[in-house]
Amino acid sequence: MEVLGIFRDIATAGQGVEALVKAGFAEGQITSLTSVPYPDGVLVPGGRRSWWRWLTLAGGLVGAGAGFGLAAGTAWLYPVQTGDKPIIALYPTAIIVFEVALLCAIVGTVVGMFLEMRLPPRDKRLYDPAIAEGCIGISVTVHAGGEVVACGEAGEAGTCIGVVAALAAPEQREQAEEIMRQAGALRTRTE
Amino acid sequence: MSDIPVTAKSAGQLNGELLSSLRPPSRRWYLLVLLLGAVVAWGLFAFAWQLTHGMYVTGKNRPVMWGFYITGFVFWVGLSHSGTMVSAILRLSQANWRRPILRAAEAMTVFCIAVAGLFPLIHLGRNWTFFYMMPYPNQRGLWPNFRSPLLWDMTAITAYIIGSSLFLYLGLLPDLALARDRASGWRQRVYGVLAMGWRGSAHEWSVYRKASILMAALIIPVAISVHSIVAWDFAVTVVPGWHSTIFPPYFVIGAILSGVAAVITLMIVIRKAFQLEDYLTPLHFDNMGKLLLVISLLWTYAYFVEVQTTWYAHEPIEWEVFSFMAGTYTVPLLLMLIGNALLPIVTMCFQRLRRSIAVMLVVSLLVNVGMFIERFLIIVPSLAHKNMPFVWGSYAPSWVEISVNLAAVAGFTLLFTLFAKFFPIVAVTDVRELEVLQAEVPLGRAKLPAIVGEE
Repeated sequence: MEVLGIFRDIATAGQGVEALVKAGFAEGQITSLTSVPYPDGVLVPGGRRSWWRWLTLAGGLVGAGAGFGLAAGTAWLYPVQTGDKPIIALYPTAIIVFEVALLCAIVGTVVGMFLEMRLPPRDKRLYDPAIAEGCIGISVTVHAGGEVVACGEAGEAGTCIGVVAALAAPEQREQAEEIMRQAGALRTRTE
Repeated sequence: MSDIPVTAKSAGQLNGELLSSLRPPSRRWYLLVLLLGAVVAWGLFAFAWQLTHGMYVTGKNRPVMWGFYITGFVFWVGLSHSGTMVSAILRLSQANWRRPILRAAEAMTVFCIAVAGLFPLIHLGRNWTFFYMMPYPNQRGLWPNFRSPLLWDMTAITAYIIGSSLFLYLGLLPDLALARDRASGWRQRVYGVLAMGWRGSAHEWSVYRKASILMAALIIPVAISVHSIVAWDFAVTVVPGWHSTIFPPYFVIGAILSGVAAVITLMIVIRKAFQLEDYLTPLHFDNMGKLLLVISLLWTYAYFVEVQTTWYAHEPIEWEVFSFMAGTYTVPLLLMLIGNALLPIVTMCFQRLRRSIAVMLVVSLLVNVGMFIERFLIIVPSLAHKNMPFVWGSYAPSWVEISVNLAAVAGFTLLFTLFAKFFPIVAVTDVRELEVLQAEVPLGRAKLPAIVGEE
């Protein structure tokens, strides 16, 4: 379950986040929805460690292998003897390896980025078109089971709740809505 | 109470102005599309004529077997460096003035390299066998020979088309979400699919920012390698005038020069067409002018080094090619030197001229006229007067080659015009980010603009 509060500006949105954290919601449960990027920490902490850039490297390595297979493999399978020159020529092979490696690294980067962002999403997520017009959305993920989970600072949204864990999900939702309304949210939505 | 935040210019206002290109097309727009479409159709007719009658309808003959098509190919590959230079390098160097220019430069790269990629295919004698270049298991029992520079070109151009398209898409992603939220009907559905469910969560932005930087870093070596490979098409031969170690960097510098000039031309057109005077300010032209000046100086230096070495060594056949070029093509040569060196260097030294839109338009157009001539003067004289005097010859383009080249210009303009009508032509999010991050800070008696730095 997710609760989304729409704030008019960055100041009131910041107050909303502060109030949510004070009430016992964990940082990992709260995220901001904005139409422009704000530096980490302005609304919610960022800097979570991510793995997706390894896909860039993996893509590069796979591409280098594929490029080598393509250029050197072709020369090896269909040898063209030219004087005393080697069958597998270094120069063309290096060019093909370089190009295919970079192409695969680029594709790996984009694929990794979408995987890390979990886009496109499997199911519909809360959103408000007012965000595109400059409003700030503050989203709180409510833990369905109400089970207490020890929270690290950069916990995954939805996997970690703090002192509000004792409450049932509907109560958590009500609390989040109330806090955001008091902080100046224009409206709240739940799904 | 309104939902819209109160700032100097609200986000909604900014969105409205920056997305103005997406408004329903006017009658003039349709006329332009029709005109460009007609030129493209004429070019297709010329190509069909060549296809049905054979290569003799071109001006190519022994010994000049590379003419206007390969000139066009090298020229368009050069233009495609705009996106890399303006977008990727300025993104990595965190130059804030880049923001309104990014999208046009990135889109230009994609369309230029797509147009460039067509030329080797048009140039092939038997165009219908172009798929022989693709490596796939086939009944012929043959795979492409990767020793051929044609295959290097195909691999590099394929990598660059895919890479620069993804780079363009990556930059578009948040703007597609903006367009989705403001559109209705079929446009909303299309933008919705392309935006992939983007909401702008803190995590999405964090990953997106890192991905943008990584992509910028990856696309630069691809761009440089593409034009280096095009240069090697020439340099790895033993044709006098081509067999030179300076060719790859010289080609890359020339490419960046034409790319920067083309971005300036496009900035002027977009500014006028979509009333973006508030966003594409004289400051942007000033900075682009400085860039043009630096690149033009570099190009002049590279050209001087190339000619000076030939002149000093006075190797007979090298000197013969140069003398033939300077004697037979004196007017184009002078036009090239004026367009690529004299004019940009003299005018771009002055801030007043850099900030004059009219001057920038003339200079940027002449740079690209000069660059097309430069490509022609590299290709044709070397082939016309190479090692064996008994097969020296000449070349003049036929109506078919001229038509196909004109259709390439029209095709590029058509693609760009369509893109500008259906996709945000200014990087809205990037421009708005700057609005959010900048503020006036009191310092002593003055208030100075300050910008929160990117990571």
